[in-house]
Amino acid sequence: MRQPGAYSNLLSGGKTGPHSLPLARIKKIMKKSGEDVKMISGEAPIVFSKACELFIEELTKRAWAMTLQRKTRTMHKEDVAAAVMETDIFDFLVGLVSHTPNPSAPLES
Amino acid sequence: MVDSIGPNQSNKHRSNYAVISGEEEGAAKEQERLLPIANVGRIMKQILPPNAKISKEAKETMQECVSEFISFVTGEASDKCHREKRKTVNGDDICWALGSLGFDDYSDSLKRYLIRYRETEGERLANQNKAAAAETETASSPLHFSFDLMDKRRI
Repeated sequence: MRQPGAYSNLLSGGKTGPHSLPLARIKKIMKKSGEDVKMISGEAPIVFSKACELFIEELTKRAWAMTLQRKTRTMHKEDVAAAVMETDIFDFLVGLVSHTPNPSAPLES
Repeated sequence: MVDSIGPNQSNKHRSNYAVISGEEEGAAKEQERLLPIANVGRIMKQILPPNAKISKEAKETMQECVSEFISFVTGEASDKCHREKRKTVNGDDICWALGSLGFDDYSDSLKRYLIRYRETEGERLANQNKAAAAETETASSPLHFSFDLMDKRRI
């Protein structure tokens, strides 16, 4: 199976710093976001690869705060969901995380 | 998919002829709209303390959230391009969209990232163009060059 991490490092050539996310995949996801999205400049996926990193870092940190409230060291999806619920800028994710509730692990509020 | 084999053939028989089954095709499409779990998991791990554990479900949820983030921001950027009658979504549009949607912190550090990227890209392209220009200075020189080669070959 292809190793996306290695591939995106090759792509970047180390000049702008290694990209930890595959640019081609980012571009695909961008294109799927709407009918209007037809042309994407080369730099847009590169900006996104950094933006996604920042996003993942922020959501992970906030989710971890939820994990610690449960006095455990394993992050579960409920922690991610709880972090989304309590952060205004993550409102766009509310529908996504409340989609499939897990009956065995109650949400911490 | 149309079953062209015949009305009495079972679905099991039909799948022998398919290149990939419907299930596999669904799974492949699913992966295309998500960023790889290994990459996502690595970024999560790097920001957490060394003894932290992350469940597979949490990583999967994060994958979904990131894809939604990309769609959300791209949509905003795309709307701006549409309003301004531009066809191409560029890095500046992404930065603007992030600021517009409340991700101001990202927007500032990404603007700096974009400036650095454009500087290094600009240098790279300038060097490439210099090299290309040296080879093809005027319209006639490619022809001139190939004539020389041909003469040499005849000798």
